[in-house]
Amino acid sequence: MPHPPRAVRRALAALLLALAAPAARPAPPPAAAAAPAWRTEFDEVCARTQDAMALSVEELRSLVARCDALLPALEKLAESERKVFTRRLQACRSLYQFVLDSRGQK
Amino acid sequence: MRGLAGRALLLALAAGSLAMGPGAPPPEYGRVVLGRSARKAGVPAVGFDHWRHRALFTCRLCHVDVGFAMAAGETGVTASTNRSGFHCGACHDGKRLHQEKPLFAACAEGGRIDDPAAACRRCHAGPGGAARRAEEFARITAGLPRDRLGHVDWERAEAERRVRPVDQLPGLSIPRRPLEMKKEVAIASGAAWMDGILFSHPKHSVWNGCEVCHPDIFPSTHSGQARYSMLQISSGEYCGVCHGRVAFPLGDCERCHKRPVR
Repeated sequence: MPHPPRAVRRALAALLLALAAPAARPAPPPAAAAAPAWRTEFDEVCARTQDAMALSVEELRSLVARCDALLPALEKLAESERKVFTRRLQACRSLYQFVLDSRGQK
Repeated sequence: MRGLAGRALLLALAAGSLAMGPGAPPPEYGRVVLGRSARKAGVPAVGFDHWRHRALFTCRLCHVDVGFAMAAGETGVTASTNRSGFHCGACHDGKRLHQEKPLFAACAEGGRIDDPAAACRRCHAGPGGAARRAEEFARITAGLPRDRLGHVDWERAEAERRVRPVDQLPGLSIPRRPLEMKKEVAIASGAAWMDGILFSHPKHSVWNGCEVCHPDIFPSTHSGQARYSMLQISSGEYCGVCHGRVAFPLGDCERCHKRPVR
């Protein structure tokens, strides 16, 4: 059986190399480290302060409850993180409670 | 005549109770001394000048997201929190760029307070240094509009786009849309001879968000429910938490009392 022309052999070799290449490539970098659960919850809970005046009483109550539920997790953090995030959480909670109280006064 | 005497009395009260506030020259106005943990560590106190940072950041960013309390001694800032990337270290980490140069790292490991080449003395300056501060104030605030007492008019500076304070710090702030608060609040003056106040929520919320003021400084939003006097304000309560200390001084009456008496 005659050998295929040189150009065809090169093309076949290139194709084989291309197919094999993914295995030879370094592994892709792992996805960015996911935020810890407390941080995700913190971001979600405290992201609503800008809208606090527009939230319903039920939504405000739910946010206050979520702040209270999150606090124990923040209190277990290393000192620096704990200081900053417990203060920030307290500010969010106080604001939601403040809006809730002001609704009750109307 | 009664009106003039009343205004003079108010000014005297405001000036007398805040000797380091409205009477302080602009380079010294808004200077905060943080000495609690510095004393424990045996290093000079930190002198923080609000005017150095105010053109760059909103009040909210530092007092909410970075976690600096509005009252002395409540933040708990230490060399350790700075080194961990919080408080001053949230920006001063040796990596974050300002004017294309990395900001010095606050309380960097191995820094020695007695080493003039170390950055320690940039913050732990101790007393003195007024002449240097005056020079730096003149350089940093050159070209910014001034109010009639010689302080930088930050509100006008932003309206004229001479300063663009940043409100978010990646990694620390929660991304969210700008606050839309359009409500102006009319507050009656306690004195018949003084114009009423038109409090602008939009102006204040742009820089402060909601949490800086509510509920700690203003625990009620219902008009007429919270009653406060100039004496309380000049003693550092209500508006006086900021005005008379960092924001424009109380001696500039007409900046708030501008609603004509009816």
